[in-house]
Amino acid sequence: MENAVVVFHLGPLAITATVVTTWGIMLLLGLAAGFATRRLSLDPGPLQTLLEGIVSAMDNAIRGMLPQRSQMLLPFIGTLWIYVLVANLTGLIPGLSSPTGNLSVTAGLALLVFLSVHWYGVRSEGFAGYLRHYLRPSPILLPFHLISEVSRTVALAVRLFGNVMSLEMAALLVLLVAGLLVPVPLLMLHVVEAVVQAYIFGVLALVYISGAMQSQETVSDSDQEGSS
Amino acid sequence: MEVDWTTFALEIINFLILVWILKRFFYQPVLDVIARRRAGIEKEMADAKALEEKAQALERQYENRLDDWEKEREGARTKLTEEISRERAHQMAAVAAAVEAERERNRVLDERHRQELRRTAEEQALAQGAAFSARVLSRLADESLDERIVASMVADLQRLTFAQKQTLATAAAAAGVNMQVVTARPLREAARTQLTAAMAEALQRALPQEYAVDESLIGGVRVSIGPWVLHANLRDDLQFFAGGVRRAP
Repeated sequence: MENAVVVFHLGPLAITATVVTTWGIMLLLGLAAGFATRRLSLDPGPLQTLLEGIVSAMDNAIRGMLPQRSQMLLPFIGTLWIYVLVANLTGLIPGLSSPTGNLSVTAGLALLVFLSVHWYGVRSEGFAGYLRHYLRPSPILLPFHLISEVSRTVALAVRLFGNVMSLEMAALLVLLVAGLLVPVPLLMLHVVEAVVQAYIFGVLALVYISGAMQSQETVSDSDQEGSS
Repeated sequence: MEVDWTTFALEIINFLILVWILKRFFYQPVLDVIARRRAGIEKEMADAKALEEKAQALERQYENRLDDWEKEREGARTKLTEEISRERAHQMAAVAAAVEAERERNRVLDERHRQELRRTAEEQALAQGAAFSARVLSRLADESLDERIVASMVADLQRLTFAQKQTLATAAAAAGVNMQVVTARPLREAARTQLTAAMAEALQRALPQEYAVDESLIGGVRVSIGPWVLHANLRDDLQFFAGGVRRAP
């Protein structure tokens, strides 16, 4: 799984099957979003109700942690949920493998989460204010904060990669050993695992980002209480 | 566990592009329509609240108007009751006055009717008394009674005053006047002579005499000289008696 097949070269870049699959997912999601939202109305049909339910569920989940920032975080966190879920389920399609079974993909997503934590933290508190939170509650904890930043990012990448890769590997091994229909229960477990891992990845990203913005939220809350 | 950096970099770019695509074509349109619906709902809620407030204001106004109407109705009812009471009192007074007048009129009529009855009864009693007396006296009357009455009349003529005698003489002096003497029974000669002499003395002349009999006189004599009539008989006396009693208070 790790040594992805290079499909073609784009100049110096070797385009692997994982990247092609990701483009396919992007195309699929983009077209689906474009078709699904082209005729939205105030009197929703079943499809629009489903779409609004999905968006509202994600928005409410984000609003539960950051009530004031849900609109800002929804595109990033929501896309994490959707992309990781679809990428996880792609492995169920014969001939394709899950992009999230590739450490390069999960590492890229984890890096994006790592960067987004600082991006949103700096946007919320400012650069100096954000960096100060590494010194709280005590400057002695600064190394631990730094280690935590790296370790949780690595854990984020490896957790998703390990779970998806191991499931696909297990299904492949069972298929090789037992036959065609035996891996089916394992594939059902794959579906559950895909949903759970997508949810965990997105929620952890949300927790990290909200942790970075929490101090600003606290200040805003105290300002509101003071003003009221 | 090796990382393909090309894939790593392209995945980051791909994900950022996907974020943009989904934000542009999925999140934003859906959030916009949700926001529009929420705004519409809030607007409808605001309109409904405004309508509710308007309805409540109308309800309060209606209740106030009902209260005013109730007060006006109570006032009108009180006024009407007072007017009815006044009108009834007025009508009752008029009816009482009419009843009193009718009662007075009936009382007067009753009194008049009673007086009339009493008068009629008196007249009937007098008439019956006179009839009874006449019937009794008619049994007792005879020529001697006639003569005693004539004697009594002669005595009365002799007791006339001079003025009375002059009045009689004046009446007898008229031309064609005679003296009519009516008795219940034929008067005997002695009595006639006594009467003639007394009348001549009273009239200061002798008038032609004309004698007649009328049994209805019962007893006594009636002498007519021109317009003057001298009653000295039981029937006329009874009639005078009856009339005198009727006229007596």
